[in-house]
Amino acid sequence: MKMDNINTLAPAAGASPEVFQQLGQITRQLHDTLAQLGVMPRLQEAANGLPDARSRLTYIAKKTGDAANRVLNSVDKAKAEHQSISDQTRAMATAIVADPVKAVASGAVMNFVTEVEACTGRIDAHLTDIMMAQDFHDLTGQVVAKVVSLASDLEDSLVKLLVQAAPVDQASKLMAHIESAPELNGPVVDPEGRTDVVANQGEVDDLLASLGF
Amino acid sequence: MSNADMKFLIVDDFSTMRRIVRGLLKEIGYNNAEEAEDGTVALNMLKSAKYDFVVSDINMPNMNGFELLAAVKSDDTLKHIPVLMVTAEARKEDIVRAAKDGAAGYIVKPFTKATLEEKVQKIMQKLSATV
Repeated sequence: MKMDNINTLAPAAGASPEVFQQLGQITRQLHDTLAQLGVMPRLQEAANGLPDARSRLTYIAKKTGDAANRVLNSVDKAKAEHQSISDQTRAMATAIVADPVKAVASGAVMNFVTEVEACTGRIDAHLTDIMMAQDFHDLTGQVVAKVVSLASDLEDSLVKLLVQAAPVDQASKLMAHIESAPELNGPVVDPEGRTDVVANQGEVDDLLASLGF
Repeated sequence: MSNADMKFLIVDDFSTMRRIVRGLLKEIGYNNAEEAEDGTVALNMLKSAKYDFVVSDINMPNMNGFELLAAVKSDDTLKHIPVLMVTAEARKEDIVRAAKDGAAGYIVKPFTKATLEEKVQKIMQKLSATV
């Protein structure tokens, strides 16, 4: 509730108007004191960062979820290819045992070899996809670091508030927090509507080409 | 020099990403790669052994990718080594800065095998043209 609105409140039926008046004065005094101490803007700033933290945590959930699905899909496809090789190998073994000359002459052996080669190629592509899916570790790791930094800022504001509100003998015991803002931004979690960032590799290439690189 | 002889240095603070890049380089025919976890380690390695190509992240502790790039390009014995930036930093000003500072290419994460292959081959072609 904003301080401007406090005067519009009326004491509840039965409540003492004097107590209400005193509470109002104390609240206003606290508000003014915090504002004078400069704590409110910092708290406000830290609180403003919370939606950004939510957005970053959503990004992490999405990236990890996407990676898990990508890995599971690739494993399913690779297992199906593997099963196909097993089935065809058994069938080929049976054909060779029954009539080796026919198996070769009919082209069945050559077809089998060709199919196995194609299958292993597809399995290799699935394994590469599983490897690439692990890039979420790097990207989410950087985003986690940002959220930790934001939580640290909020903690810093609250510690300062605690220090300023505490009795002198207690305040002297509290540690000062040194903040250090990172220079680099890490992954862009929401590029929509932003003109200062690129959304994909194509935009990187276009930008560099426009500059003659 | 054949692909197998080319020696890469992969610089990234995340071991997972180093392994991914190393795996992809192997798939596209470059088997000789070593790893460094930040710019400081990378610079020491570059000064103590011969490398032909650097693939570097930007956002790293101790010495970031921009600082590593500047150190490489200001060293007469190292400045011929191409440095390909592979990073999550997607701000246009970072991309332009990297190009102006002498990066041979810029890839934003997440990327694909095809993108890495295309950029590496392009840089290799430029290298052979200048030799």
